[in-house]
Amino acid sequence: MDTFLQVTAYGLLQGGLLALVAVGFSLVWGIMNIVNLSHGAFVILGAYIAWEMQSWFGLDPFLGMFVSAAVLFCIGYVIQRYLINLIVNGPVFITLLLTFGINMIFIQSMNLIFTADFRSIQTSYGSNSLKIGAIHIPVVRLLAFLLAILISFALVAFVKRTRTGLSIMATGMDRGAARLMGIRARHVYAITFAISAALAGMAGTMIATIETFDPAKAGKFTLMAFVVAVLGGLGNLYGALVGGLLIGLVESWAGQYLSGTWVNGIAFLVLIIVLIFRPNGLVGKAFYAARVEL
Amino acid sequence: MLEVKQLTAGYGRTQVLWEMDLTVGKNEIVALVGPNGAGKSTLLRAITGMIPVRSGSVTFDGQVIQGQSIEEIVTRGIAHVPEGRRLFPGLTVRENLQLGAWRTRDTNIDHVVELFPRLGERLDQVAGSMSGGEQQQCAIARGLMSKPTLIIIDELSLGLAPVVVDEIIQRLPGIAESGTSILMVDQDVDAALTIASTAYVLEAGHLVLSGKAADLLADPRVQESYLGVG
Ligand SMILES: Nc1ncnc2c1ncn2[C@@H]1O[C@H](COP(=O)(O)OP(=O)(O)O)[C@@H](O)[C@H]1O
Ligand SMILES: [Mg+2]
Repeated sequence: MDTFLQVTAYGLLQGGLLALVAVGFSLVWGIMNIVNLSHGAFVILGAYIAWEMQSWFGLDPFLGMFVSAAVLFCIGYVIQRYLINLIVNGPVFITLLLTFGINMIFIQSMNLIFTADFRSIQTSYGSNSLKIGAIHIPVVRLLAFLLAILISFALVAFVKRTRTGLSIMATGMDRGAARLMGIRARHVYAITFAISAALAGMAGTMIATIETFDPAKAGKFTLMAFVVAVLGGLGNLYGALVGGLLIGLVESWAGQYLSGTWVNGIAFLVLIIVLIFRPNGLVGKAFYAARVEL
Repeated sequence: MLEVKQLTAGYGRTQVLWEMDLTVGKNEIVALVGPNGAGKSTLLRAITGMIPVRSGSVTFDGQVIQGQSIEEIVTRGIAHVPEGRRLFPGLTVRENLQLGAWRTRDTNIDHVVELFPRLGERLDQVAGSMSGGEQQQCAIARGLMSKPTLIIIDELSLGLAPVVVDEIIQRLPGIAESGTSILMVDQDVDAALTIASTAYVLEAGHLVLSGKAADLLADPRVQESYLGVG
């Protein structure tokens, strides 16, 4: 029983991070109809930036994550504004191809710059943990979880409550109509993508304080983001939160109770089962109601 | 104020409009009539930059606007209520109206609620869940939010009950008077010509008639083709 509780706690904590990886991915998918295959590379790049920040300036990763966020925001803005925007009206296949290419460029660049060796971010408090009954909760995991949830909620609040957020929603629902309001859709798209990349960078930094990372791990996070986003309901940010927690739990349980090869497939199994019963994802209706193109 | 000269436009390889000339003056209501597929919507889209202008010119307040982006053109003070209304269906009426004031940042909704009191009772309702008539009122109100100097309304009464149409049409002279000229397309040619001062008749991408709306209303060709008289 104690093992089960421990595994469950770890799963939930991990799930919070998956949720943070997925909310930005889901936002970009829902608003622009782009399945961003380079999302995982942004996660890993965020980890490297924070690692370097710590190595050069001794910056704590929980502060370094904001540097990662800022750098990735800029990178994300430029990529969307000057690259993906060129083909954003094209068929989904074309956007897939482009983001796949961007992903490869990022991974190869990271291999060249940072080498393919495993790294992780160590902190002086990394081995501290809280004890609740029989379960240990490492403070780093707890901190990462709480921040991840907080940031995800902040994103939802931003999209729902601010002027920029309203323009993102409007552009996602009907890009042509949004432009007729005078909203610069290209800029809004770039901001949306930038936010998504920034969140990925923050998630990557926090993940790096918990587990090792290398460029090749990017694909895993893209896959996870995909599963969680679909599970939660496309473009549904609360859904991504719930989906992240669920997948974290399932992965953790599977890692404990099933043999290794099963672990990777289990997330997809859950996805398929959920979609059979709830085709629109876990959390009912998507936060945008319709998509109309000019 | 708005001047379209010798405009041609189309989609991809197909040309849809030939040598269009059209003028909208200050405080004026101008109607554009013609059968389905004549190119009325296409002309309106070319004016606000939703499709490129191939040749000819569009000037607004003396400035050439063709070739500019939709965003730039509407920022000059033109609102376009497109065919099919194109409200943001998942957002509330209030949010839709706020978005209408995007470029001016003046989100005071009193002046449009005064015009369309029905909307005042529906502010927190999701736009997609309203009736067609309410949605059309919301679309026009959204267009008026930025206090434009010209509002372009495509298919004003499509799919609406006659009572609702009357209600909306009644508001138009007041809107024009208060400084927002109107360029409208309506399938109800009788109503459009009654309310407009100038009208243009389009057929198959060509301008076939234009002049004072009252004269067109009395023109036998118009009566025969559009008013079911004769
Ligand atoms: N998006 C489009 N792509 C290609 N052709 C179009 C498009 N919209 C309209 N057309 C064509 O342009 C012509 C004029 O259409 P439209 O301007 O919508 O007419 P109206 O508004 O007068 O009914 C029609 O022949 C129509 O088939
Ligand atoms: Mg039309």
